[in-house]
Amino acid sequence: MPDTLAIKRISATPSAMIPLSSLRSSGPVYSKLVDISKCIGCKGCEVACKEWNDLKVEQTANFGSYQSHKDLSSNTWLLMRFNEVAVGDDDVDWLIKKDACLHCEDPGCLFACPAPGAIVQYQNGIVDFNQDQCIGCQYCVSGCPFDIPRFDKETKTVAKCNMCIDRVEAGLEPACVKTCPTNAIQWGLKEDMLALAEKKVETMQRRGFEHAALYNPGGVGGTHMMYVVPHGDRLEDYSLPAHPVASPMPLSGLNVLQRVGSYLLGFGVLGALGHLLAFGQESAEDSEGPGA
Amino acid sequence: MSPRLLPRFSFLERVVHWVVGVTFVVLLLTGLAFSYPSLFWLTMFVGGGPAARVLHPQVGALFGVGLLVMFLLWVKDMFLDALDKQWLGAVKHYAMHERDKVPPAGKYNAGQKMFFWLQSLLGVLFVVTGLLLWFPEYFGAGLLNTARLLHYVGALGGALLLIVHVYLGTVAYPGTARSMIDGKVTEAWARHHHPRWSGDRADG
Repeated sequence: MPDTLAIKRISATPSAMIPLSSLRSSGPVYSKLVDISKCIGCKGCEVACKEWNDLKVEQTANFGSYQSHKDLSSNTWLLMRFNEVAVGDDDVDWLIKKDACLHCEDPGCLFACPAPGAIVQYQNGIVDFNQDQCIGCQYCVSGCPFDIPRFDKETKTVAKCNMCIDRVEAGLEPACVKTCPTNAIQWGLKEDMLALAEKKVETMQRRGFEHAALYNPGGVGGTHMMYVVPHGDRLEDYSLPAHPVASPMPLSGLNVLQRVGSYLLGFGVLGALGHLLAFGQESAEDSEGPGA
Repeated sequence: MSPRLLPRFSFLERVVHWVVGVTFVVLLLTGLAFSYPSLFWLTMFVGGGPAARVLHPQVGALFGVGLLVMFLLWVKDMFLDALDKQWLGAVKHYAMHERDKVPPAGKYNAGQKMFFWLQSLLGVLFVVTGLLLWFPEYFGAGLLNTARLLHYVGALGGALLLIVHVYLGTVAYPGTARSMIDGKVTEAWARHHHPRWSGDRADG
């Protein structure tokens, strides 16, 4: 079913300034669901992402891992991280994580962005960067609790996974979902994905993964890419923050301070004017001066 | 008869003052644009959002250099003496224009000296946090967010200082502003505002 891409939030834009017509909230809300236990590490999703989004190929080098790239970049929006974690003395857990934008319900990047329109959140859950409006300050990078957006030194703008918004708009699933051969990445209405995740977690727990869990962190209002992880008690081993927050302390403090600051500046100007009215000017020519 | 004039600020001092002053206003306007979405339009004065992002730190570097030169030029006159400490205790009378109850000031009164130290401190804060934010690729998110907070606190303090500075230097005390234009003040102005300094000048 095609999506009309109704808008939910726009960076540096009060919600009152978003046209009401685009604030309709009746549309579908989507989510990806990544079942890490089903991933076979083929990296087909990485290729599909590059291909569909026409992202430049980057020279890679072997650094002793099955992982393709060392890190995300402005041209690599999806990276399967192959984390090798030692278990005891002679065993290793190979924990794979699909590293890409989680499309938070409360997006820290959008809250941190000072450029109107550079980040747009749609009612369907997608958080998209609009490079035309980006000023390159990279506040979104430090505002993201998941370390996802990447700065492009050539274009001086920031880029990340856009959930293949052009496909979603046309009623298709994102490219990584389409290409995944084991259904480790699934796509659908968020409520359906939550129900599916619940079943998956149950199955895993029955099979001995007692800490199996759904990753849909509340600190960012939930995400529109959720994970089912076999070891829910070892999120850090998957490179997943245990308690991500949309606007953590320095930023939430800054928000309050900016509000207070605007009043202080106003009172400063008014105070000077008030002082002038109360006490007038002090002209040196009128007096001989006290110290003369 | 035209009043007798005393030289107060050299050409170099005036140039440095205006370099710092003009760059600070540009920094304040672009910084306000980054801090308040409703003021983002201020970026148009320097050519739009991306231009503001590029220019703000570059202008900031010039501001930092100017502030450093200013510090070196003036620091020797900025240490508080005994009368300055009394002046601070009488600041209420200073504010109420009761000049006969205020201890006489030297070349700079204690308020100006405190202003100098405060602006120097803020300058260090601006440069350190500004450098982090200029090149965010090299630093972690927690550090950068803290730098944003401190940079804003500094800017708020600087903006309040600017309001006080401009108000006192122009409308509150007529005859002051010209010291930063042609560098001179009238003898009456000097005797009224800086009696100990005018005494030195008259003797010399």
